This record gives sequence, structure tokens and C-alpha cells, in this order.
Amino acid sequence: MGRSLKKGPHVDERLVGKVEKGRSKGNRDPIKTWARDCTIVPEFVGITFLVHNGKQFIRVYATEDMVGHKLGEFSPTRTFKGHAGSKGKGGPGK
Amino acid sequence: MPRILGVDLPNDKPTHISLRYIYGIGPALSLRLCDEARVDPLRRARELSDDDISRLATILDREYTVEGPLRRQVQQNIARLKDIGSYRGMRHRRNLPCRGQRSKTNARTRKGPRKTVAGKKGVKDK
Repeated sequence: MGRSLKKGPHVDERLVGKVEKGRSKGNRDPIKTWARDCTIVPEFVGITFLVHNGKQFIRVYATEDMVGHKLGEFSPTRTFKGHAGSKGKGGPGK
Repeated sequence: MPRILGVDLPNDKPTHISLRYIYGIGPALSLRLCDEARVDPLRRARELSDDDISRLATILDREYTVEGPLRRQVQQNIARLKDIGSYRGMRHRRNLPCRGQRSKTNARTRKGPRKTVAGKKGVKDK
């Protein structure tokens, strides 16, 4: 659902700070974050994030194509291992 | 029967209805197109002159994405979602609804015909 243009994209301020800090120091370490609702802005391209999915941190490397999406979209929160008794096809998938 | 953009053969319905047989043209665009090409939207498609048709075709060609290119565009957008590993891409890959609808029940459009599982608890077993 569309967000009001007036507001601009939602970006986590603290995360931007961290990105800039890392950049100015030439630090390439992945940035751990819980801000799943943070939009990926062009400045984030080329940075690796560790996005929390409620349990672990999933490694997300921001590419140009991901701009405009949210970090959480790349860190699945559910594990579906297939239904009981259904082997092979439709079984545990990625 | 008039032909626009190769394959489409709208029949003897009013022009604005016939145009909708082209992939990518809906009610609104159809009327706008008639307006732009100065074709009476209520005249039957069969009564269109060659001139009308060529005018419609040029406008379509110039300003809108329809048929093959449009289909390709849609496919590319989906492929992109899959490619970047987004949640929506994953849902596409699994043929499940992508926009947050429930899939415990319903979602038959995406999931296709029901696949009944033997021995699964249901209303009958209670």
C-alpha cells in the first residue's frame, strides 16, 4: 500500500548514522540491525546488513535492485519445512 | 474484422469494447484512445475505416505498452523480485499470494485446484 509522498521513505536514522560512520572509516563490517521496516535507500547499496528475523540475523547484501524495498523483505521470519507426511515434492524447500 | 497490432481481432462490438481485447487496454484507456484517435467509441469496430485503424495503431505504438512488450515487462518485474530474494519474490516462486492475503484457506487462484490430503483432520473426523 502506498505511503504518502509527503513523508518520504521511512529510513531508520540510527542505521543511516551507522552506515555513514562505517563508510567514512572505510569499514566494511556488516551492520547488525533490527530495523526491518527501514527502506533501502541508494546510499545503502554495497553494504551488508545483518537483519534480525526474530531469531537470527540474516545476511543481506544491498544491491541496486533492492532500493525502495525494506530490509525485512530479505530476512524471512517463517520457516516452512513442508507439511507432515508430504515427502519429496513440496517438501522442505528454501 | 479489423486487425490492430497483428493478432487482435476485435469483433462487431462498439469500438471501445473491442479495443479491450488487446492485452493492456482496459475501460479507461480504451475510451482515452478513442478520444485521441478521434474515433467514435460507440461505432461498431467493423465500421472502422483503415484510416481509423492506422491512427489507433500509431498512437498505441507510440505511447503505450501493450501485448507482448507489456507481458514481458510484467514477467521482468516478477523475475526481479525473485532475483533479489525478496519476500514477494519467494511467494511468486511458490505460487502463493504475495500481498499478505491469508493462505490457510482460500487463495485458490494462486494455489490452483484443491489437493486433498488423505487422513488429514477435518470437519468429518470430529
